[in-house]
Amino acid sequence: FDITASNPVSALKNGTSCCDVKNCQSLFYQSALLARPVVVFHKEQQLHPLTARIHSSPPLYAGSDSNAASLHWTAERVLSIALLALGPGAYFCPGSVIDYSLAAALTLHGHWGLGQVLTDYVHGDTKVKLASAGLFILSTVTFAGLCYFNYNDVGICNAIALLWSK
Amino acid sequence: MALLLRSVRLAAPMGTTAKEEMNKFWAKNSRLNRPMSPHITIYKWSIPMMMSITHRGTGVGLSGAISAFAMAALILPGNYTHYLDLIHSLSVGPFLIGLAKFGIAFPLSYHTYNGIRHLCWDIGKGFKIPEVYRTGYTVIGLSVITSLALILM
Repeated sequence: FDITASNPVSALKNGTSCCDVKNCQSLFYQSALLARPVVVFHKEQQLHPLTARIHSSPPLYAGSDSNAASLHWTAERVLSIALLALGPGAYFCPGSVIDYSLAAALTLHGHWGLGQVLTDYVHGDTKVKLASAGLFILSTVTFAGLCYFNYNDVGICNAIALLWSK
Repeated sequence: MALLLRSVRLAAPMGTTAKEEMNKFWAKNSRLNRPMSPHITIYKWSIPMMMSITHRGTGVGLSGAISAFAMAALILPGNYTHYLDLIHSLSVGPFLIGLAKFGIAFPLSYHTYNGIRHLCWDIGKGFKIPEVYRTGYTVIGLSVITSLALILM
């Protein structure tokens, strides 16, 4: 079989190497590949545009066959859509329910967003742990503050309305 | 052999996680004291690049503003209307008020519209380069228009 098929990365790029059984058979028996056995059938990869292949996972559930990272990704998108809906919701039906939903959705969206920024720029075990702890404290305080504001003061929807009526 | 193939439908799992692989990458680089390749200092800036970092910047900025507001609510004495009246009494003038409103409205609009653009990418739509630029300009245009509309409300 050709040399290019022996490297899993170029196999992915070619798209031709993994489509026939014989090549895959020889790929499996190659000892260099047994240490990193990733064989992807290109055709099936094309059918799953939603499958994010590489992204960071939160510190929990970091086992090698956990789909926690994938679920996290999906949850981030679902939350974004929910937050999009809360915008007009706040405008047309201001009130306690929207106030607390906004507090939760905004804080969580921000927490996860800042988490991605962290993952991109902070490297090294201790630095990541410190930064993650700091972020967790910040998000907790933010949520607490927003809930306190909703309970003891005018609430988020009214606050924006009052601010804008200047 | 057929059994092996049938049990490996998409991919055979690797022994390490993505996170472990990434940590190994960074640990090796710092251990060997490798310099970082020049990237933003030499690469020509493009609209998609600028929009991407702006999306991140507006996100971090908005998040920071929300956190600052929440902490102020917890720490500062007096209630919200008290502080609003305080700002009112400063009689800042319509232009500066408009500017301040733009400072809030634009990051929010931009991040929202570009966020929708991101969600379209997430369902696989709009990756062709002309589409990237077209949707990009649309986001910028809509952000400016929405911000102006919000200020005039």
